[in-house]
Amino acid sequence: MISCKNIIKKFDKLEVLKGIDLDVAPGEVVVIIGPSGSGKSTFLRCINRLEAADSGTITINGQAVEYKESSLNKLRQDIGMVFQQFNLFPHMTVMENIIEAPVLLKKMTKDGAKKKGLELLNKVGLEEKENEYPNRLSGGQKQRVAIARALAMEPKIMLFDEPTSALDPELVGEVLTVMKKLAKEGMTMVVVTHEMGFAREVADRVIFMDGGTIIEQGPPEVIFETPQHDRTKEFLGHLK
Amino acid sequence: MNEFLSFSATYLPYLLQGALVTIEIAVIGVIFGSIIGLLVGLGRVSSNPLLSQISRFYIWVIRGTPLLLQLFVIHFAIPSVFSALTMPPFVSACIALSLNAAAYIAEIARGAIQSIDKGQMEAARSLGLSAGQAMRRIIIPQAFRRMLPPLGNEFIALIKESSLVSTIALYDLLRTGQQIISSTYRYMEVFLLVGLIYLFLTTIMSYIVGKIEKKVGAYE
Ligand SMILES: Nc1ncnc2c1ncn2[C@@H]1O[C@H](COP(=O)(O)OP(=O)(O)O)[C@@H](O)[C@H]1O
Ligand SMILES: [Mg+2]
Repeated sequence: MISCKNIIKKFDKLEVLKGIDLDVAPGEVVVIIGPSGSGKSTFLRCINRLEAADSGTITINGQAVEYKESSLNKLRQDIGMVFQQFNLFPHMTVMENIIEAPVLLKKMTKDGAKKKGLELLNKVGLEEKENEYPNRLSGGQKQRVAIARALAMEPKIMLFDEPTSALDPELVGEVLTVMKKLAKEGMTMVVVTHEMGFAREVADRVIFMDGGTIIEQGPPEVIFETPQHDRTKEFLGHLK
Repeated sequence: MNEFLSFSATYLPYLLQGALVTIEIAVIGVIFGSIIGLLVGLGRVSSNPLLSQISRFYIWVIRGTPLLLQLFVIHFAIPSVFSALTMPPFVSACIALSLNAAAYIAEIARGAIQSIDKGQMEAARSLGLSAGQAMRRIIIPQAFRRMLPPLGNEFIALIKESSLVSTIALYDLLRTGQQIISSTYRYMEVFLLVGLIYLFLTTIMSYIVGKIEKKVGAYE
């Protein structure tokens, strides 16, 4: 589904990604963990080219990603992204947030997009909020709208960058519930998170990143119970 | 006092006519200034180095020279070389005010665009919107709301600065007052009235700007 080979990314002199390889199979849920500053966000952003990698190749569905503006815009339609800070469009209602991209890019009619939008809001449990503005929603509700907005483009892959890190603890659950539902439906997902419970329950594979490299990866029970590397052990130890 | 009131009653209609001209050129200045200013502001934040340099140059020249000089260049200097570009004072005044306001509004636009959280552009791009679509649909509508209060202040400034057009024989509020003085020699009364009318205009505008500021704040 996604195949990243030897991704290197520098900010000026600082090498943030030092050659990352990652293959994600269709329907697979990959959880990336690691200390702050280890390059997790940068890696996700290289996958949909919000950041341009300095070298390395990314293949989606067997097709190498061309670095032309137009093909990148097309590529991004197939890759949904959910941000730590939600990034809802504050000047639009919940429904307008959701239908903006499908109407603009998929040439859907407004009515068609709204019908679909209602289904998605139903899925994230917010169908009664369609006409609210984002500033009237709680953090958890905002993030669920952001997920619905990304899903409205019918992406093949969803990237999540610490989707619950900005939330009050009591609101984390409602977002994770939606993500679990997505995973069960077979969505291909790459999730950066500190929610180890989520990783244990949902992940097919857990990747531990540190200092711009993948230190260790495997099924959650292996990574959490019998980590091989000292740095992984140390990191997991801190979490407990 | 009674005498002042009857004097006012006689000449106020003339002054209000002048005030109307002042309002007209200020409104035209702020409208065309906004259009040109938004374009220059977009040029300023553009990743195209040529566009951004041209915009920067425009802003530098206009903000670094007096409006009065710009007015004279447009109304006197240019027609003295290209006589085809001779224009009535009203048109010269509108052009000068628009071009002048545009430079200040461009900086307002740039500030507003840059004040929009980076995450907005990223969210839009991650959905597949092109840079242009994201600007048009996501960034500019939000930036525009933030521009409204400073635009209102620019309009207030324009009402006051537009009094410079009295120097090119345009009968705005100030010049109308001067004309009345030339036949009545009542400096004190006339300038008092002129000042009161300017104050009235700018106070109303300040009030409206305050209202807009509240509204913009509430939505964010
Ligand atoms: N736009 C940027 N410019 C310069 N340095 C950056 C930029 N984005 C991230 N970095 C740096 O790259 C490193 C990795 O950041 P990031 O990918 O956000 O890590 P993580 O998500 O794992 O916390 C950090 O040292 C960070 O300061
Ligand atoms: Mg991060």
